[in-house]
Amino acid sequence: MRARIIVSTLLLAATPFAHAEATPDVGERLTACATCHGQRGEGVQGAEYSPHLAGKPAGYLFEQLRGFREGRRVSTSMTWYVRFADDAFLHRIADYYAALPPRTRSADAGASQLTDERRSKAQALVERGDATRGVLACNACHGANLAGLEPGIPALLGLPIDYVIAQFGAWREGIRHGAPPDCMRDIAERIPAEDIRAVAAYLSQQSNIDGLRPAPAGSFVPPRTCGSLPHAQEAK
Amino acid sequence: MKWLRLIGLVAVPFALLLMAIGLFLFARQGGFAPYRLPQDSGRPIAHDAATLARGEYLARIGDCEACHTAPGGSAYAGGRRFATDYGSIYSSNLTADREHGIGAWSRDEFAHAMRHGVSRRGPLYPVFPYEHFATLSDADIDAIFAYLRSVPASAHVPPDNRLTFPASWRGALVLWRMLHYRPAAPAATMDDRGRYLVDGLGHCAMCHSAREASGALAVDGYLAGGRIPGSGWYAPPLDAKQLQHYSIDQLADYLRAGVADSGTAYGPMAEVVYRSLQYLNDEDALAMARYLKSVPAHPQHDSGFVLLPEPARPSVAGNGADIYRRACADCHGKDGEGEPGRYPRLRDAVATRVPDPIDAVRMILYGGFAPTTARNPLPYSMPPFVQRLSAADIAAVTNFVRENFGGQHSSLTATDIQAMHGIVLD
Repeated sequence: MRARIIVSTLLLAATPFAHAEATPDVGERLTACATCHGQRGEGVQGAEYSPHLAGKPAGYLFEQLRGFREGRRVSTSMTWYVRFADDAFLHRIADYYAALPPRTRSADAGASQLTDERRSKAQALVERGDATRGVLACNACHGANLAGLEPGIPALLGLPIDYVIAQFGAWREGIRHGAPPDCMRDIAERIPAEDIRAVAAYLSQQSNIDGLRPAPAGSFVPPRTCGSLPHAQEAK
Repeated sequence: MKWLRLIGLVAVPFALLLMAIGLFLFARQGGFAPYRLPQDSGRPIAHDAATLARGEYLARIGDCEACHTAPGGSAYAGGRRFATDYGSIYSSNLTADREHGIGAWSRDEFAHAMRHGVSRRGPLYPVFPYEHFATLSDADIDAIFAYLRSVPASAHVPPDNRLTFPASWRGALVLWRMLHYRPAAPAATMDDRGRYLVDGLGHCAMCHSAREASGALAVDGYLAGGRIPGSGWYAPPLDAKQLQHYSIDQLADYLRAGVADSGTAYGPMAEVVYRSLQYLNDEDALAMARYLKSVPAHPQHDSGFVLLPEPARPSVAGNGADIYRRACADCHGKDGEGEPGRYPRLRDAVATRVPDPIDAVRMILYGGFAPTTARNPLPYSMPPFVQRLSAADIAAVTNFVRENFGGQHSSLTATDIQAMHGIVLD
């Protein structure tokens, strides 16, 4: 009885203090990010070039933040926000968004662009790729349900159509780089513009109703070694 | 034969006068001495741990790496672009590579470049702050050189400068130096550590002083504040009056943390804190703060900010108070009092009090993060309002904030705000 009183007194005394010291709220520091990516990283209606972040693998998010800081990805505003942020802070930001529940809705725009013809073309690319051009199926790396793979491959569900098209353009133009071998750049160079539009429209209309999170690291092995991703290195 | 006499009477004395002025100016910039590279005296380069550690500290406080490293490139390998009114200049490779870096330089040659702005490549462009480094002590210059020689060699070749004529011609630098460069006596300021750091290694005056159209520092503009060329930011004056809301301890802390109650380091200053000042030791930080607070107050200096002509310029903030209440007060408080440690105070804050509104406008337009530092590892951010408020609303709220919290008459219009649009990274 006495022990219990002591323990509960200690808990009462320690809890608020320990909480404030050990886990400062990273989210309240990220009001700048919320403007385009949403309060909880769920994306913002009308921000067609800003993807949702919630639930993406922390390793992927960190690599992108570092890419903006070091010029492997080009976005003036993103570089503006992260250029004087050290790795430790970027990890905290990445972990914060990775831990949030993934967006479940499809993208706000793009439905009108998804014709039947584009849908079947995109479905083929997502599930089987394009062997004649040497293009891998999207789901070979991004997961059968396109929910991504820890720690470095993002989910593709419900991304804004304009954002996805812009990324393919950036890979092709050499202004978005992954660490070599840069698989997405290779794919972007092999896939014709109309196929990019079809895939982007299709992906934008996929919703993640079940709130699927990226598959745990090692749960499947992508067919190709890409960038600095640890799972790809293991697959070699 | 009359015209010959006329030439003799007018043109010859005129030419002689020009020559005399030229010679005088040439002598004032140091004569031929700066262009004569010193013989290698064979003094050995130190490589003991203590000198290297000291050199590394000094190189950090001089912020050498920031300018001599391209984004994402190897440290000190050069290639960072500097946008000037005369074109782009790329920083040089300072690594120990013998061909592309300074691996073949002697101590004397390095000291000469630091003091006189002339290397084996010829006269250097004044984006390199040799005018400030001229006051460094021999021991400090030698320690920096020893440290640079310990940096891993990189064979990176920075891009060629892209300058317009006449700046593209290195000979023009001699003319520029004749008009603007007056060599300082070495170590003239050694007795005051704070002043030595502020004026020398820290080269604070590069940004915080008023500039003339030629890019030279104005004679009476020492730490008087001014627009930083090419960056779209205003560097506030540094003096007793401007810094009155900081105690010496608070200022010394701001230099290392990047945040304080009445100001946050954004834009170019965020970089200086992030890469350089956060590493100041206690003694040096206090010395700089003490010296800065002792600089006599400047009269309010003209920042060069000119309001665009507008027929009906409102004299008051219009709906600025309304916008402030809706968009700003949640964090900054209804009276601009802020919340210590989280959201900066606006009342009497630096950006609300300085003569030039551009920093306040840029912060409202694009927001930003304070730099991460050991003293502020998880910084807060200011959200951008460029998508949420019209240019007219941003003008109104800036006018409201500067008039009510900064005591500055402010009559910005939408046109002024539009002229300040655009993020400038480098």
